[in-house]
Amino acid sequence: MKVGDVLTAEKSSVLKALDALRRDWRIIGPTRGVDGEVVFAEIASSQDLFFDYVNELDPIKRFFAPQTEPLFRFRLEGVPELQPPEPPPKQILFGVRSCDVKALEHWDKFYGGRFVDELYFARRERTVVVSLACNKPLPTCFCICTDTGPYLKSGFDVQLTDLGDRYLVEVGTEKGLAVLAQGGLEATEATEADLKQRAERMRQCDAQFVTTAYMAKGIIQLTQGRVKPELWEEMGRECFSCGACTHLCPMCTCFDVQDFMEDTTCGVRERCWDSCQYSGYTRETSGHNPRAATSRRVERRFFHKLSFQYMQQDGHHGCVGCGRCIISCQAMGLLDLPAVLKRLRREGQPVEPARTLPQD
Amino acid sequence: MSKDRGNGHLYMPRLARVIRIADETYDTKTFTLRFVDEESQQQFSFRSGQFVEVSVFGAGEAPFGLASNPNRKEDFDITVRAVGRVTRALHERKVGDVIGVRGPLGNYFPFEEVFGYDILIVGGGIGLPPLRSLIEPMLDARDKFGRIIILYGARTPQDRVYKHLLSEWEKRTDIEFLQTVDVGDSTWTGHVGVVTTLFDKITVDPARTVAFTCGPPIMIKFVIQDLLAMGFDPDHIISTLERYMKCGVGKCGHCAINHKYVCTDGPVFSFRQMQAFREPL
Repeated sequence: MKVGDVLTAEKSSVLKALDALRRDWRIIGPTRGVDGEVVFAEIASSQDLFFDYVNELDPIKRFFAPQTEPLFRFRLEGVPELQPPEPPPKQILFGVRSCDVKALEHWDKFYGGRFVDELYFARRERTVVVSLACNKPLPTCFCICTDTGPYLKSGFDVQLTDLGDRYLVEVGTEKGLAVLAQGGLEATEATEADLKQRAERMRQCDAQFVTTAYMAKGIIQLTQGRVKPELWEEMGRECFSCGACTHLCPMCTCFDVQDFMEDTTCGVRERCWDSCQYSGYTRETSGHNPRAATSRRVERRFFHKLSFQYMQQDGHHGCVGCGRCIISCQAMGLLDLPAVLKRLRREGQPVEPARTLPQD
Repeated sequence: MSKDRGNGHLYMPRLARVIRIADETYDTKTFTLRFVDEESQQQFSFRSGQFVEVSVFGAGEAPFGLASNPNRKEDFDITVRAVGRVTRALHERKVGDVIGVRGPLGNYFPFEEVFGYDILIVGGGIGLPPLRSLIEPMLDARDKFGRIIILYGARTPQDRVYKHLLSEWEKRTDIEFLQTVDVGDSTWTGHVGVVTTLFDKITVDPARTVAFTCGPPIMIKFVIQDLLAMGFDPDHIISTLERYMKCGVGKCGHCAINHKYVCTDGPVFSFRQMQAFREPL
């Protein structure tokens, strides 16, 4: 076996390998929650896995940057003592959908660069991502519009494709290769017929998407400053500023930092997820708030996703088409990404740009 | 895990001791700090305009512009007004107490690039400290610059920081220093009016002058407006931007304006760069 290999394995063999890996690894995969919902959680056995799912509601970002995460503990007797967190456990994320895997590529770039976030990379480096390509999208899925699925070409350690009684197994990285070997996976080289079957599944899946997101049009409208201010004001009136869209977005990374005292001498500094949709997000101590109005925050969110951060800084969409904002938006069908793009598209009359954005 | 990040990671402060506290006003103090670890202090160097993230453990962390002369190596200053949780906790610290510092962070004022130019510095209130870290090295290298004009405005005479320095600057003949207050009192015999009213009292040649400004957002707005009216080139108006910041290293997201981060791309921007921002300042 080597990186780049395309194999097939009986499903039972894949599960057997997973059970063998449990001795050394924390295995996280799709399980059935108490109310029947799908939740990615640590499993005690491959028997706990629940495969009839497309995507869980919570993105997997919480396994790399937990909702609240200690940055360090401190003790305040005499000269303060600071204690960084313990290294995280080794974990295998099993059955992750393509869109969520693609979001990780962005996180790797964002948390790397000039200032490397070692806490993120400590988790990232100790995590193996086994993705499961989608054969059936949800009605809310639109990864074909963002070029992030339903099958992956990169970003996975191992990619599985469900071929009925077998999985097609693609080995993406050395890390992926190592766990397949450690788990003792019994696999054989994929045949022409297997690849053909996969291609057919991909074709069938592509044909089932129903949600469209006019990414190109939205990017043009925003980048050229063609959206009328009234439209943002209208959307600002519709938004509840609940932050669900950002918390459930696999791409969103913002956090806040707070200290908490545990007793008179001990405490912890934690970071926790934050949202640009909250009114206090940009409020300064002086009271000055550059984005006090809800409309300004909604505007910021879409400029950020479709123009500023991702396109101008990173050269890709700020969206992976998972559809979680559609499911979670309290303004029901008005402010999720595909809905807003539809509104921008309708508004898209060829008008004189209000202001062209800089390229720098 | 690089050594210059203290014992651990990007968000881990290094310990610094408060070695001097000076009362500037009724609500503002200057803290002189020195890293507990000598090597950290020796390695610490910054440029005017940069900031540090300061921790008071248990209260939190907040960014402050470095206020001292970067040529001073043995310690460094921050000037802090008590307005929020962290700043109030900082004001309760005593000489000898140990706090946390990350940095220096952010970009800096152009210095060598403005050699030979006349310099106009406009500070407002608590916006003077970061400018002080620019003024002092300029005075150390006085012959490198043309005229140096410093204008300072505060709300009241009591609100002025660095009163000892202001008197020194007033006495110097190689700089032009003017100060004003929005509201005077019985002790105040000087100019009264917002800082931009001092523009009437000076003559500058905008073609050969670079202006630096720092202060509350509303002041910066009016200062820039007047400088433009005077004929300043947008490239020659240099200002700091204020935004709520947490991490200081471009990760937490709070200080983003367009596709830039005030903490890593700034806090220093030219007006030319600001003009390109779609979001109002």
